[in-house]
Order: sequence, then C-alpha cells, then structure tokens
Amino acid sequence: MRFSLNFIKEFLDIKIEPERLSQVLTMAGMEVESLQKLGSDWVFDIEVTTNRYDWLSITGISREIAAVLGKKLKLKEPPALTGKIYKARSIKIEDSQDCPYYIAKVLRQAKVAPGDLKVQQFLANCGLTSVNNVVDITNYCMLKWGNPLHAFDEDKIEGNVCVRRARKGEIFLGIDDKERELTGQNLVIADDKKVIALAGVMGSKNTEVTSQTKNVFLEAAVFSPLTVRRSRRAAGLDTEASYRFERMVSSDNLECACREAAFLMVKKCSGIYAGGCFSGKKPAAKRKEIILDLDKLSGYLGLMYPKAKVKKILVSLGCRVREVSSKVFSIMPPRLRFDIGKEVDVYEEVSRIFGYDKIPSRIPFLPASACAKIQAGGQQSYCFNNKLKDYAALLGFKEIVTYSVESKEDLARLQEEATVRIINPLRKQEASLRPSLLSGMLGCLRHNFNRGMNELKFFELADTYGLGKSGFLEIPSLALAFGGNNQDFFLLKGSVELLMKFLNIEGYYFKEAEMDNFTNSLALCVGEDVLGFVGKLDQAVKKDFDLKGEVFFCQINAGSLQKKSSQAFFKQFSAYPVVSRDISIALCRDVRFKEIEKIIRSKVNYLSDLQVVDVYKDKNIPSNQSAFTLRIFYQSPEKTLSSEEVDFFHNDIRKALSSYKGVVLR
Amino acid sequence: MEEKIKQLFQEFNNRLKADNDAKSLEEIKTDFLGRKSSLAKLFSQIPSLSKEEKAVYGKALNVLKNKMTVLLEQKLSTGQMTEPKTDLTFPSRIPDTGSLHVLTKVNRQICSIFENIGFSVIEGTEIEDEWHNFEALNIPLDHPSRDAFDTFYLDIPESKKGKYLLRSHTSPSQIRVMKNAKPPLAVISPGRVYRPDEVDATHSFMFHQIEGFAVAESLDFSHLKGVLLQFAHTFFSPDVSLRFRPHFFPFTEPSAEVDISCIICRNKKSFVQTDKSCLLAGRRKPQTAKCSVCKGKGWLEILGCGMIHPDVLKACGISPKKYRGFAFGMGVERIAMLKYGVDDIRLFYENDVRFLDQF
Repeated sequence: MRFSLNFIKEFLDIKIEPERLSQVLTMAGMEVESLQKLGSDWVFDIEVTTNRYDWLSITGISREIAAVLGKKLKLKEPPALTGKIYKARSIKIEDSQDCPYYIAKVLRQAKVAPGDLKVQQFLANCGLTSVNNVVDITNYCMLKWGNPLHAFDEDKIEGNVCVRRARKGEIFLGIDDKERELTGQNLVIADDKKVIALAGVMGSKNTEVTSQTKNVFLEAAVFSPLTVRRSRRAAGLDTEASYRFERMVSSDNLECACREAAFLMVKKCSGIYAGGCFSGKKPAAKRKEIILDLDKLSGYLGLMYPKAKVKKILVSLGCRVREVSSKVFSIMPPRLRFDIGKEVDVYEEVSRIFGYDKIPSRIPFLPASACAKIQAGGQQSYCFNNKLKDYAALLGFKEIVTYSVESKEDLARLQEEATVRIINPLRKQEASLRPSLLSGMLGCLRHNFNRGMNELKFFELADTYGLGKSGFLEIPSLALAFGGNNQDFFLLKGSVELLMKFLNIEGYYFKEAEMDNFTNSLALCVGEDVLGFVGKLDQAVKKDFDLKGEVFFCQINAGSLQKKSSQAFFKQFSAYPVVSRDISIALCRDVRFKEIEKIIRSKVNYLSDLQVVDVYKDKNIPSNQSAFTLRIFYQSPEKTLSSEEVDFFHNDIRKALSSYKGVVLR
Repeated sequence: MEEKIKQLFQEFNNRLKADNDAKSLEEIKTDFLGRKSSLAKLFSQIPSLSKEEKAVYGKALNVLKNKMTVLLEQKLSTGQMTEPKTDLTFPSRIPDTGSLHVLTKVNRQICSIFENIGFSVIEGTEIEDEWHNFEALNIPLDHPSRDAFDTFYLDIPESKKGKYLLRSHTSPSQIRVMKNAKPPLAVISPGRVYRPDEVDATHSFMFHQIEGFAVAESLDFSHLKGVLLQFAHTFFSPDVSLRFRPHFFPFTEPSAEVDISCIICRNKKSFVQTDKSCLLAGRRKPQTAKCSVCKGKGWLEILGCGMIHPDVLKACGISPKKYRGFAFGMGVERIAMLKYGVDDIRLFYENDVRFLDQF
C-alpha cells in the first residue's frame, strides 16, 4: 500500500524525518519497502500483511504511527447530514451471508467536473488516478477510511436495487470496458433489468458516473471477504476495492466514509443531499476481553516488561486497559483490530512496540528428546542419503540438482507414464512429477555437452514419484551417469559394484534386462528384488535429446539400498601371494561372457579375481567375435601356491574353455 | 673363495663409482646381484664345500650380498646419479574429481549447526495434503494469507485431509512431527518445496527450505533469537548481527522476519571500490557506490520465524498451556546466494560443470 505523508499529516503532527519514520515503522512491523520524495510530499510504500486490514486506510496507518510515536490522533468524524429517508428505490439483499449491510445515499443536481487538485495530489501519491470530482471523492474516502465506495449514475438505475448472485451466463461490462460472463460464484449489484456492479470489485459501464451525470447513488457496504475473493478470482480481477473487501472492512467506519463522501459531494460538486437508506444489519464487532498476565508475558518473550510501559503501549494502540490485580490486566482491544483476539496477540503488540531488539538472545538447553525413536528414524534416512552422496562424490561423480517435474514432451520421448500429474501447471514443463531421474540427467548432460564439456560423470539423489496401492509414492532414487565418447560402461558397472560393497549388501547380482530407452541393460538384483538398473542409452533417444556423446545411466532405489545395507565387519584377507596367468580369448557374439565365467569359477577353488586387461580391435578379428585377454588371479588363504599348482589349474581352465562352443583360445 | 669375494667387491665398487645413471645402476644390479651374476655363481659353489667352509663362506657371501645391496640402494636413494630430469614447469594435469552440489553443502552446514545445538534432522514428504500444508498451520481455505503460498495441486484422489499438493513450504513437517511425537522436541527439516512462480534470477518454482522448530515447557522468544544468532555467527561470520522485524505469519505469534547485516558492505550501506575495480571501471580515484547486494539498505532478509501459534500446537494435540515452541524457516538457495555471491538462482539447477566445480 502506498501512502502520502502529507495525507497522514492531516491527522497527526509528525516532526521526525521521513527516513527515520520509515525505520521506526519497519522495526515496529510496518515494513516500508520504499520511500520516495515527490514534490513536497513523501510517498511510503508499505507491506500490509493479511492480518492488518486496518493499514489499508490513512486513518488506520495514522493510528499505528500515533501509537508507535506515542502521539495523539486529530481525527474528526464527518458532520451529520440531514435528509429524508430515500424511498424511490428499495434495496434488497438476497443473502445476508454475502452482504450483511448495505447503505445508500443519494445526491441530486451534482455538477460532475475535474477533481479537486489537493485531492488529486493525495490520490496520485497513493497510487490512484483522478477520474472526476465525484469518483475522486469516493476514492479519497476509501483511502481515508478503508471502506470502498461506489457512485452510480442514479438516472441509469432501472427500478429497485438488489444484491444477489449472478445468474449463469449473465454478462457484466466493467468500467474497464471488458465484458465478462458471470457464474454463480459472482456476487452482483443489479437493478430490475441488469447487472450494475460486480459487488465489491468493480462498477459497470452502464451506470458509470460521467460528465452528463446529475444524480448520484452512493453505495457503501460490507461484503463477505470470501465471496468477494471467489468472485474476483472467477472474474480474473484484482482491484483496490476487492483487495480491501477480501481482507475485511470495518463496519464502524462505513457510515463515516459514506457520510463524508456525501458531505464532500455537497460541498465540492454543489450537490443536494436527497436522503439515504439502508438494508441489512450493521455487523456487530465481535470483541472479547483478554486477560493479560504480566508474568506469562515475560515468560513467553524472555524479558521482564515494566507494568507501566505495557499499559502505556496498549492504551496507545487504542485498547481499554483495566487492572485486575497487581500483575493482571483485562484488555478490550480496539474495535478496528479483529486480529487481537488471544493473549498471544497482545504479547505480539507489546513486544513489537517495545522493540524486539530489547529481547535478549539466549541459547536454550534442549533436553534430550522424549521421542528419540522417531527422531532417530528420521535422522537415519538423512544420514544414509548423506553417506550415499559422499560415496558417489568419492567415486568421481559430480552431484547435480534438477527439477522434480517433467514436461509432457520428455515423458513422451522417454515413453514414461505420468503417474502423478500436476493439475495447475504454470508452464508446459511442469506437466507431472517425474517417474525417473533420466530426463533431468539427460538435460544436464546436454547442457554441458553443448558448452564444450565432455567426459562427464554426474549423480543425483532425489525422489521419483508414483502411485501405489495405498496412495502416492516418493521413492528416494540415486542416478549415476557417464556421458562422453570415451566412457566405459564397465567402469559404471564397477562403480555400482563398489557402492554395493561399500554398503555391505551381500548377494547382489546383475541380470540382463530389457529396458525402454536403453540399447541394453542390466538389472541390479538382490534375491528376488530388483533394486535398479545400469544401461547404455539407446541411439534413438540420444538423437531425440540431441546429445553429443554416449550416455551410460544407472538408477537405483536408494530406499531399498538403505534397507539392504548393513554394517560391515572386518574380513580376514589372505596373507599369501596372488599369482596371475593370462588367457587370450576370442568369443563369438552369441556366447555370453558369464557362460565362460561360470566355467572358470567351477574349475578353481583358488580364484581370487578376473580382469579383462586388453581388448583387441584388430582388423583380423572377425566382426562376430570379441577378442580380449583375460587375466586370472589365483590365491589361496592357506598357503603359497606353487607355480606348478597354478599351471595345473590354468591348464584345466584352458582345456575346458577350448572345448566350449564359440570360444577360441588364441 | 675369500680372494674371489674380495675381488668381486672391488669390481663392484669400481663399477659403482664409474656408472651413474639409473639405467647403468640397474645393469650393475643384474650383473652383481641377479640370478646369473658372479655372486650367484659363488653361491652355487657352496654345496661343494666342506661343512666348516660352508658356514664361513655362506655367511661371507650373505654379508657381501647385503653390502652390495645397501650400497646400490644408497646410491639410488641419494640421487647421486645423473638421471635426465623431467621439466616440471610443464602445465599441471588436473585430476577428475567428484563433488557435492553447493546446495547439499549449504544444507548440511546449516543442519549441522542446529544439530550441534541439539536439533535432530527429520525429512518430510514433498507430496502433502491441504490440511498439513494449510489448515493445521492456521491458514484457512480461501484466505488472502494463502496468496503467499500459491500451490501446485496434484491429480491424486482426495483424502480426508483434503486435496493433494506439492508442499509450498517445509512447515508441514512440523505438523507431522508434532502430531506423532510428544515434546520436548527440537527438529530441523530440510527439503524441496514448490510454488507456481514465474522463473527469473531470484525466483524458482522449485527451491529448498529448511524448517526448524522446538517445543518444550520453558522456551521463549529469547531462545529463538539465541539459536538464530548462533546460526548466523557460525554460518556467516561472528561479526554479523541480526535484526528481528515484527511480521505476520499465520502459524506463529509473535512473528518476525530476520535480517542479517549485509555481509558484503558490512552494514555500511555503501562501499569504497578498490583501486583495481576502479581501474577496470576506468576511474582514477576510488569511488563510493551503493552496495549492490543490500541495495544500500545495510540489511538482507534471510528468514522468517516466531513463537508457534497456540492454535497450531492445539491442532497437533499439544497443550499450549503446558508447552511453548518456536519455529523458523529459511530458503537454502537464498542463503547460498548470499554466502557465495551467486546472482542467479537458475544456476543451481542448470548444473553447468563450470558452476559445479567452484564449490
């Protein structure tokens, strides 16, 4: 809300510098977001929190400044107007929930002309534009009292006035010249023939006050905040009026605002007051006494507040303070402050005016929690995830953070199912919660490839989403990826193996699997459970995502990892030397390495490891074969293996392999 | 035999004096200590000697072997040889390393500061229902206070606790813990949050928050101030100060927004540009400019906090008559941006290696 300091000065003597005032207000909770000098005036732009509807008026702001500075407010009620009861039209309210109270005042023979210069200046400095003297007066009174008013051209109203819900399909032409089709969500002011205003939001073009207007029908009302909010949302509008109605308007100020507007129209537009009428009932301000215990106040804030000071602050805020006993006050909050209803609300008022800076800073002694079990449970997954991240970084992967949402396009490209759809996305890319970490990873790889970065190793640990039998699922998942043209799938597979070893997950194995988006892949399993997969990205997907390098990708369910992981204990290792022997093998493409591995493992008790030490890509090697050198490591836990023993095993292996179909020893 | 030993040692010493580079030392090793060396030959003669001689010469040969080995080692290790030296002024090769994302690092630093004070970390879920995200936190349906929390709704069948949504803040974790556990409690809860916001240099539809809260019989506002000051001193620097400004949050009363004294201009609101930056700007004399980080205000908003509203405690089945609590929430990206001078929030999710490698 923008306010003009000169406007405030009409009601309050302010001697301190505007900059200083701005600081003082900010530290009392009225945050001044900007301060600007405009001619002889200063314009303050303040943040009005939703609990302080009273700051949406100059009188309300003045009251706050008066309390903060300890000054008295010079505020006069507008003079009473004498006139008959207006009987030409009746006002009917269909639902008192939507509109409990509606006042109308009528002026005859008004001369519509450009507005008063002083008023124009106030309006401009508070961010409103001048229209004409009549409309300016309604806006001036709205600014002053916080109650939006509306002036209709009385001659254009046909018949009686009714406050009702719009009928479906009714058309409303606003003073902004836009047509809107209404629904039952919208509350309207209507005459016998047409809609003449969107209640609490905007007037209609059909009854707008123009230079031809002679007679003015002035409206002041209380509308339900919720109704106005839904109505203006449905109409796609947000106006000065709706902003105030949504946050509540004071029914106490309603009469003041309306009377002052009528008074000013008589004075400045040479109108003749022709009486008023009303419908409904003025809502009673619900107020109740609050008991303030000074000891509790001090205990809540950690500071002893002097009794006299507390009383002074509350009185300055407009509370009625009665001393019940030496340490207890009974407080009646001011009528305009609906937000003060509980003892804690009073604590806030006292502490903010006294100053939060006066409250000391202490470190509490936080007692050992009674719910250690729950806390430990939560802490466990946090610790486990940290452990995973640290280990992935140790393996040489850089952590990335990508968005948890996925676009329709990516979902389609990856043939993924949008299991948890977002109903109200702002942009296309927010179609659904991601079912896997793949699209985020590919996006990140593409970004870096396109900037000349190559040979990338990334990981992400984040949730993937799905729907299960008992509702939604959030699955903590770990993605590992290599990107580039010199990457080795087996290094990624090895990284996964190291990870499994690090987490001490026993009995895991890889199983060949078919996966969408991958040329081929391995499922990572423990027993019957599939924990994740490692694969080589399909060329079509690579092209679709415009990736300049090959991608090897792995995704593992981190929740399962946590469940399966266990503490490792030291394992004795053999004190005897390792001996190795090499075999050069050419393997036909239709024989899997795992077949020959099985043969090798069945032949030797003392096998300690297998490594491919060389892969031949010679022209002489037929394309249906892969040729490589396998190094076999032998080690016994009990003794030093003699050269002869090793040769014996090794020859055994050679023999078995050479008789296997599709294996050629070279 | 004795003569042969002496002679061999003599030859060894001569060769050792003459030859100096690593390669010739290897040759000496082969010639004198290898499997086909003169020493090995002498050893092979041992079995043909008498029992006494065996003992004497066996020992003598072993002594010789050790001597020669030690001398060779010495020569090798003292570097008295003329090995061609590598030109070490060639550029370095940078090893490939893994790394943690700066958000993870900042998140951990923040959590661990609070853990040291006695808080435990509990992570909530990102998918929440309306009751936990709003109602329980005193944010009624269709109230203007919800405007600050625009929300993504999800296509999941509604539950008794309302529609499902992506949490717009980490405060629902507070509700979940308080409903499931009895005070005293001190919990810190980090995680991703979502708001349908236009994306620009300071806004993102997804970001990270850290929620902290404590509930016990004797907590008061001064403890909230103490805990947050301790955090600011540890995380930023012991010479920063905090400013608590009254504010409004539906779930706390009293509430405050907290500003930190600008870590760039040290709350001086302006700074004198150094000579270097003046040169870059083409100016001669150092100039005073408005601090660009705090925009000359001297303060930067870092978090919101307050005493937990009694209605929120009640909604979780905790008696506000017996217990009091405080809570606070901060944006991890914002804190990281302030700490490291990152000027665009989108950098965090772009994952450019040149960005990742800086932390």
